[in-house]
Amino acid sequence: MSETPVPRMSNPFREDLVSRNRPQPCTVVIFGATGDLTHRKLIPALYNLAVDGELPHGVKIVGFARRDKSDEVFRAGLEELNRKVSRSGHDEEIWGSFVQSISYHRSEFTDEDGYKRLAERLDEIDRETGGKGNRLFYIASAPDFFDDILEQLKTAGLNKAAEGCWSRVIVEKPFGTDLKTARHLNEVVNRTFDEKDTYRIDHYLGKETAQNLMVLRFANSIFEPLWNNRYIDQIQITCAENLGMEGGRGGYYDTAGALRDMVQNHLLQLMSLVAMEPPTDLSADGVRDEKVKVIRSLRQWDTAEKVAANVVRGQYQAGSVDGEPVPGYREEDRVDPESMTEAYVALRLMVDTWRWSGVPFYIRMGKRLPKKATEISVHFKAPPSVLFNTEGPSAAESNVLVIRIQPDEGISLRTVSKIPGTSMRLEPVKMDFRYATSFGKGSPEAYERLLLDAMAGDATLFARCDEVEEAWKFIDHIEHAWHESDSPPPMAEFVAGTWGPKEADDLLREDGHAWRRL
Amino acid sequence: MSEEFEYHPELGRKVPVGEVDRELRRLWDEDDARTNASLINLAVYSERRGALVENSRAVRELTREHACRAILIGINREEPKASLEAWITAHCHLLNGQKAVCCEQLAFALKGRATGRLRNTVFAHLNSDLPLTLWWQGELSPIFSERLYSLVDRFVFDSSDWADPVASFARIQDASAESSNMVVQDLSWTRSYQFRVSLAALFDDPVAQAGLGTISKVEIVHHPKHRMAALQMLAWLSVQAGWRSGMELNLADARRSEAMEGYSFESKEGVAILATLTASDSAPPLALLRVEGEDLMVEVSREAGAERLSRRIQAPGHEVVTPGPVNADEPLGLVGEQLSRGGKNSLFRKILPRFLTMLSEHDWHGSVS
Repeated sequence: MSETPVPRMSNPFREDLVSRNRPQPCTVVIFGATGDLTHRKLIPALYNLAVDGELPHGVKIVGFARRDKSDEVFRAGLEELNRKVSRSGHDEEIWGSFVQSISYHRSEFTDEDGYKRLAERLDEIDRETGGKGNRLFYIASAPDFFDDILEQLKTAGLNKAAEGCWSRVIVEKPFGTDLKTARHLNEVVNRTFDEKDTYRIDHYLGKETAQNLMVLRFANSIFEPLWNNRYIDQIQITCAENLGMEGGRGGYYDTAGALRDMVQNHLLQLMSLVAMEPPTDLSADGVRDEKVKVIRSLRQWDTAEKVAANVVRGQYQAGSVDGEPVPGYREEDRVDPESMTEAYVALRLMVDTWRWSGVPFYIRMGKRLPKKATEISVHFKAPPSVLFNTEGPSAAESNVLVIRIQPDEGISLRTVSKIPGTSMRLEPVKMDFRYATSFGKGSPEAYERLLLDAMAGDATLFARCDEVEEAWKFIDHIEHAWHESDSPPPMAEFVAGTWGPKEADDLLREDGHAWRRL
Repeated sequence: MSEEFEYHPELGRKVPVGEVDRELRRLWDEDDARTNASLINLAVYSERRGALVENSRAVRELTREHACRAILIGINREEPKASLEAWITAHCHLLNGQKAVCCEQLAFALKGRATGRLRNTVFAHLNSDLPLTLWWQGELSPIFSERLYSLVDRFVFDSSDWADPVASFARIQDASAESSNMVVQDLSWTRSYQFRVSLAALFDDPVAQAGLGTISKVEIVHHPKHRMAALQMLAWLSVQAGWRSGMELNLADARRSEAMEGYSFESKEGVAILATLTASDSAPPLALLRVEGEDLMVEVSREAGAERLSRRIQAPGHEVVTPGPVNADEPLGLVGEQLSRGGKNSLFRKILPRFLTMLSEHDWHGSVS
């Protein structure tokens, strides 16, 4: 893969001022501008960058959507949400200035003329502002329109930048619904934009702790020597959500399921950061080359029997979460009453590399679990029990390194300690690092970091086409076994508000392991 | 401040110096705090009377965002009789509705000859393994010696406090040379941070960028107390733009007066640049940074008391005005900003030679009575 050369610094005052690639002024065009993502995440992220003085001077934002709206009405809607969700609050003066950079462009996604008018408008903006013609297209629309938008951008010539400028595209998930559609999408994207100009966003990678994973592994000499099958017994990645299908999300979710919605992208991305070899450098492709090797090394569960032995899917039955009664999955709004879509999935993954041979990676993701939490736990092997072969379960406790992604981002390390007293009794104790405690100021939202990276041409925290396709290749086998095989593995059930089905516990019990209690 | 009390509402419990550690343990045993958090040792040094209590209040604010073991040092070197007293307390803040994050504070009042005791007694209470940030308030006294700064990882001072900055910066330079791992941070430099960021942001604009080579005039307006911040900002501007120090100014009188001083540079394109620094009693620490070239004016400004910078580009057919964040006015806020950013302060080290040259050529002490 070729690397995007970082443009030569042409603004000397930027040099040495901040330790990151320099975001460049551009016009951001958001497709699907009337949607939730734009209102709740993208505009507040851009606003907060403006508050912090991080947004490059001269950035303009054009919202592209089908509904008929004036600039004023569009801005008023954005302001209403920004007041509610902005990380740094809502400052009238800054908003007043920031909002001047936002305009609305009404068009159908399939209307060729609408893109011609968009091109004219972008040129006009550049003329008015002295902009050089850098464009960042953010496709935040429903996935059904991805193809149309990309094709129309190409037809209008918006995929090509003027000399000395760039034209980039950010694509929101899902990157397809299986390998075939992902390949098709990649083909369409790559027919329109060079791979180096394509940014497949996975907001998990913009989270502080996810970014800190590489720092933890490669900037601390105590972990990397132990980061292999000699010392690590198992690794667990948990993404628990206490929400179900509120707000009409059942309509989309029932067509996707936990495996496609979360595992194919977010959780495999996290796993690849945990399992990858040290990259040769921190360039985008240096890191992504190593991540894709991990996905490629996954042992394929390519028969229904292997899937049944290594993957558990489940749906929740009516129960209670946070003391409130909640319906079962099939009774949720907009969910098919006979749905065979999983709202819970647990997997045992094997990474067939020298480093990880024999170490299981357990991944679980579920809706309507007791609480919201995402974490990675690295379970080290227990030491020989020769010296402290004492009574009680505590003697068998091993060291566990936990990387909490959300909420309460941080890292903890469980060690074993002697209980004060005359007898030799051991108990686990925890060393805990919490971002909120150690660094009182809040982390920027993931989208803030990722938007700046895209403006700076840094694709390190974005997925590359081969990563996406390798992940789908792995996931497709499982989906096929579930939905197309003659003897599909059964759908397990669990009561909402519990930690998933018994079958998922059994999956680990076979290996002598158990899910970490969160 | 009288240090003759057993308990002070701000400094906490007075304890025998030899039993500080034991008393700290007792403090934690008695308290229902959940977390004793600490990322750094933060020592705050002052020779000003009453500073211990003021600094305790300052540390209380700082610990909201910067978990540390705070060591407050108040010294009265004029006292003939040597003595050393200590107080301990903890600053606790709510997290998720609980008193969860606490930072311990040790306060020491030293009288008489103090250098040896400062190192041997006070700094014996550092949290081992954590770096030491020393915030030095006021003039550099004889206490600032190799025996002290060899312990320090980050040395924070405010050159706006100095009566003789040429001499004081010379001492800082010597200390940096002797203690190469020590990061030196001048709050005057931090004061200009958002001005520098804003100017850099304005020069992202292609119109401004195109006019960079035509710049011939720089104006900086500052409060009289903050000449160091203004001068450092000019040094930064000239170093980053690649301007050489220029010829002697014809307007010799303009080089230095009560309210105004002039500097000249020459750009890579051979354009002569005249820079002026103007002091104004009614101005905030930094009020204006304006650069002008052919058909171009780029300006960052701040009204006194304003919470935003105004950033402006003016060129034919092109006028842009946007707000930008400001730096804190007070040292406490600036220290907080500095602790948030961390780093090795490489940019400051880069511009330091130019700044020192400009400073010594326009020696405040030498030219103004």
